[in-house]
Amino acid sequence: MGASKLSGMQKQVLSLYRGFLRAARSRPIEDRKRIEMIVSTEFRHNSKEVDRKNFQYIEYLLRLGTKQLDQLKSPAIVSLSSIKVVTSKT
Amino acid sequence: MASIAASASISLQARPRQLAIAASQVKSFSNGRRSSLSFNLRQLPTRLTVSCAAKPETVDKVCAVVRKQLSLKEADEITAATKFAALGADSLDTVEIVMGLEEEFGIEMAEEKAQSIATVEQAAALIEELLFEKAK
Repeated sequence: MGASKLSGMQKQVLSLYRGFLRAARSRPIEDRKRIEMIVSTEFRHNSKEVDRKNFQYIEYLLRLGTKQLDQLKSPAIVSLSSIKVVTSKT
Repeated sequence: MASIAASASISLQARPRQLAIAASQVKSFSNGRRSSLSFNLRQLPTRLTVSCAAKPETVDKVCAVVRKQLSLKEADEITAATKFAALGADSLDTVEIVMGLEEEFGIEMAEEKAQSIATVEQAAALIEELLFEKAK
């Protein structure tokens, strides 16, 4: 990673991943572990399966992920069903 | 006789000045705070194969976080110069390492700087910089 320059889109993905991990940190430990597991699995699955040149789909995933992160940050949201929905889709 | 005495006194006078110069140099280096440069000869940990600005304690802590995050065996060698990529870390792993380091040291790394970190040494240097800023 260090030597090679990250593309703008790659940086956005890593930034989103970072955002999820930060949001998870403010949760009680059980929730946190579950969130981290779900998020980690989802990102790794997509990094494996999604064609790096399918920019349209990646942009879609980034927008979707951003919405989910916003939901996760909201204290009103207690359940994680929105994240699970995406997991089950892919 | 007289010339011998004169040269002796000259050499004696020269010494205090040299000491004064050395002292002021040390002061200017340290710049009023604990210097990361050590003028004492000190035994560096044998695991450190390269010299780096960060304290050995910081490097050791970074190594511990990296080891835990990547689930490495005790036998796996990590030095200051070790690249995360060489340990099998991809970019997602590196994000996790950085997040782990933030938590361990109680700091927050700016995204741009965090993304440019590729070795233990770079991580340790940035951490010490941030800890210094925090202490102000």
